[in-house]
Amino acid sequence: MLSADLVIATAIAYVGLLFVLAYLGDRRARANKKIWLNSSTVYTLSISVYCTSWTFYGAVGNAARSGLEFLTIYLGPTLVFVGWYFLLRRLVRISHLYRITSVADLLSSRFGKSSRLGVLVTCIAVVGIAPYIALQLKAVTSSIQAVAGTSEFGRGSLEGIDDVGLAFGVAAGMALFTILFGTRHVDAKEQHHGVVAAIAFEAVVKLAALVAVGVFVVYIGGGFEGIFSRAADLGIDFASSTTFDARWITTLVLSIAAIVCLPRQFQVTVVENSNENHLRVAGWAFPAYMLLMSIFILPIAIYGLSVMPANSNPDMFALTLPLNAGQNGLALFAFIGGFSSATSMIILESIALSIMVSNHIIMPLVLRFTPSSQGDGQGMSKMLLVARRFSIVLILSLGFSYFLFTRDSDALAPIGLISFTAIAQFFPALLAAIFWRDASLKAVTTAVTVGFILWAWTCFLPSLDSLSPAIAALLVEGPWGISWLRPQAMFGLEGWDPLAHAAFWSLSVNVLILTLGSLLTTPSALERIQATAFVDVFRRRGMPQRNFVRGSATANDLFFVAERVLGEKRAGALFESAARESGVEPAVLDPTPEFIGRLERELAGSIGAASAHVMLSKVVAGGDVSLEEMMQMADEAQQVIEYTQQLEKTSTELRLTAKKLEDANAQLRELDSQKDEFLSQVSHEVRTPMTSIRSFSEILLDSDDLAPAQRRRFVSTIHQESLRLTKLLDEILDLSALERGERSWQNVPVDAEEALDRALLVCDALLRQKGMSVEVGERAHVTMVEGDADRLCQVFINIISNAVKYNDADEPRMWVSSTVRGGSYIVEVSDNGPGISKRDRKLIFEKFWRGVEGSGDQGGAGLGLAISRQIVARMNGSLELVQGAAPGACFRIRLPIVGKRN
Amino acid sequence: MMLLTLIGFLLLVPPVAHLFNHDFSILGVPQVVFYLFGVWLALIIATWALTRRLEPDPDIETGEAEE
Repeated sequence: MLSADLVIATAIAYVGLLFVLAYLGDRRARANKKIWLNSSTVYTLSISVYCTSWTFYGAVGNAARSGLEFLTIYLGPTLVFVGWYFLLRRLVRISHLYRITSVADLLSSRFGKSSRLGVLVTCIAVVGIAPYIALQLKAVTSSIQAVAGTSEFGRGSLEGIDDVGLAFGVAAGMALFTILFGTRHVDAKEQHHGVVAAIAFEAVVKLAALVAVGVFVVYIGGGFEGIFSRAADLGIDFASSTTFDARWITTLVLSIAAIVCLPRQFQVTVVENSNENHLRVAGWAFPAYMLLMSIFILPIAIYGLSVMPANSNPDMFALTLPLNAGQNGLALFAFIGGFSSATSMIILESIALSIMVSNHIIMPLVLRFTPSSQGDGQGMSKMLLVARRFSIVLILSLGFSYFLFTRDSDALAPIGLISFTAIAQFFPALLAAIFWRDASLKAVTTAVTVGFILWAWTCFLPSLDSLSPAIAALLVEGPWGISWLRPQAMFGLEGWDPLAHAAFWSLSVNVLILTLGSLLTTPSALERIQATAFVDVFRRRGMPQRNFVRGSATANDLFFVAERVLGEKRAGALFESAARESGVEPAVLDPTPEFIGRLERELAGSIGAASAHVMLSKVVAGGDVSLEEMMQMADEAQQVIEYTQQLEKTSTELRLTAKKLEDANAQLRELDSQKDEFLSQVSHEVRTPMTSIRSFSEILLDSDDLAPAQRRRFVSTIHQESLRLTKLLDEILDLSALERGERSWQNVPVDAEEALDRALLVCDALLRQKGMSVEVGERAHVTMVEGDADRLCQVFINIISNAVKYNDADEPRMWVSSTVRGGSYIVEVSDNGPGISKRDRKLIFEKFWRGVEGSGDQGGAGLGLAISRQIVARMNGSLELVQGAAPGACFRIRLPIVGKRN
Repeated sequence: MMLLTLIGFLLLVPPVAHLFNHDFSILGVPQVVFYLFGVWLALIIATWALTRRLEPDPDIETGEAEE
């Protein structure tokens, strides 16, 4: 049989061993020989600090009391780690980049470096964790009592000491141990290699102990089958229909939140992580660890229920079963395992919480009340350590107080779940912080506060019902008799499991306020910057935060600040390396915004982001103004971008104009060459009749003996040639007069059909000469248009004669039709000639244009179409070339009908 | 990864978990116990297999694509 003294001595020796381990671990880490310390195995084992004495003792008790429910506490974390790539990797990356030291730091940093949020989260964490620490104290106390109670050596040195005294002793010892362990120095990244090494060792011890007990139980119980058949004999029903009820889901969700948000889990998983790739192993190895832990819990619980007396505490089965069987060695090992799981939790939890308390509550107070000009080199560093030691004592005494108040309740697991529910209030805020850009400080603060108040009312308060009859009465009747405010039946929601009830109300209201609040409020500039930095952490690699824009601080001021927090050595090293990088003496180092940003992150590693920001703001004049400046700079950048876009637009327009000009120029050149050609044509045209006139007149002058008939013929030729000349000159004059608007006529209603008939009649001879057939299609009959009958007839003649002149088909044909459509009189003249090439279409209505393929003998001077177009335009109509049914060209004349001119 | 978490969650809550809650034993272990530990083990193995297939130091761009 074991004596209580032996057990206590073993525990103290074990703690001594841990201390040596931590010391060696720190030494190795300092000597940069952290090969094994830095491995993913150690990392995974340290995460298993999740399995506390709650697992070791409480889970067995829970299994004995409510069957499979204990599994959810491990299945939730499994789900989180299985999806490590999604959530944990992001958290680790953010924390590495921005030197996050705790959940409070993460939230305060993300939501605009708000110190108030940091304080709020810290307070909630400290209060919320108190039951959890009480659970560990209770477990350790009960385990010692369990051993002492069965001991034949009596209570030894424990004689006369009750539970409370024992728990006080344990708490005091733990406080001392944690202070010695965790607060010897302030680390740059808040990584405690020594502690982590010790925790990893404890993880192995507790696993080995539980497995040893489990194997022993399975062995003496007749294998798994034997044990489960015992369960059936006893009438223990795991397959009850109530297993998977609201409580199952609640505990699953709570454990998912807890594995991320519990201060110690955040500490080991995120802050102590030195390499992102360690997560790859932890992703499957940590769930595997938990699987191994829980595989024997059910057999231990069942066997315990079947062989132990009915009034024994099921929480202690892991310890009392070996004791009962007389296996003292195994019982001692089990005790060490349980002790191990309790100590590792208390140590890490209080370290993590003390960092939060000192960074978010004590440091800001110190900063506020001490002017920055005071303090000597190491002052701040020392102050920080003292603050942490004080916090550890505070946290453990809170835990002890809770233990004191609730020592009558005997089950362990429900106490832990109270803490889980409190900590779960951070989970919505944490998810919003890293995934939702629009989440705002006000919404998060309100949501967490309200969630916490609801937790305190529905979960924390009921757990204290044994403390005073007033609380018990409150539970039954509600405050001031208001029944819908009863803590365990809020708003009339009765008949639920108290835990599911509390979790439902606190978390759903929390999420609701967070979502609606964020949508309704506008985040500040700093919040927006931080939101982008956190949410887009994988998009921008290591983008430094630059909240201080223009360094109005000198290197001296900054060094002073850095020295106060980091200590002289590290501050000096930091400044020297910065000076080396920029290639100047440390004394004349110019503090660039990048450097100030880096310094802020270094400081944040020691005192939290909010405090670091406040400290530097004091030195770098007008930190807020700098931020405004930055926003202004961003605006200016925006303006430059807009200006550039405008320039681009303008240059595009210029390019278009240039292109148009080029086209116009090409057209001009084309016209110019046409004009040259025309001039030579005109010269030719004029020269030919002039030559014949001159030669005939010379003959007439020189030869007197000409026959009268011959003389008469010559004179008539001279006359004809003169007429041709006159006609040509007339045409040129006519066109230029038309163009300049000099030649005008009275637009009067005329019958367009009559003009068309006349034109066809005039061209009859020409058509016959060519042998061209005319098909007259649909006719419009009498249609009155505004214009001049003779001029209109001239236009028709011109178009018809063109169709005749340029047609080289074997069987020349022409189609003429006229219709009235949409208030317009439309005449179409088409033929089966060669048509007009695409290139010429733009040019045919230009002056001086003659069909390129048309040879000089076609007569006209190339003015006909130009004149026709001018005439039609003068009658408010249009003359255009369209795509007709016939293969050749198709001209369309469109004139408005009288009275319908619109 | 994300999918694994979601599937895991669905398998572990009602109504799916109810499907495997019948009153008979496999190798002397109640079916529901067998089922829960089975899902757990499957999740661990699937994560291990998936992690092996990921690049050792995942690049930032591919990391975004994965999510």
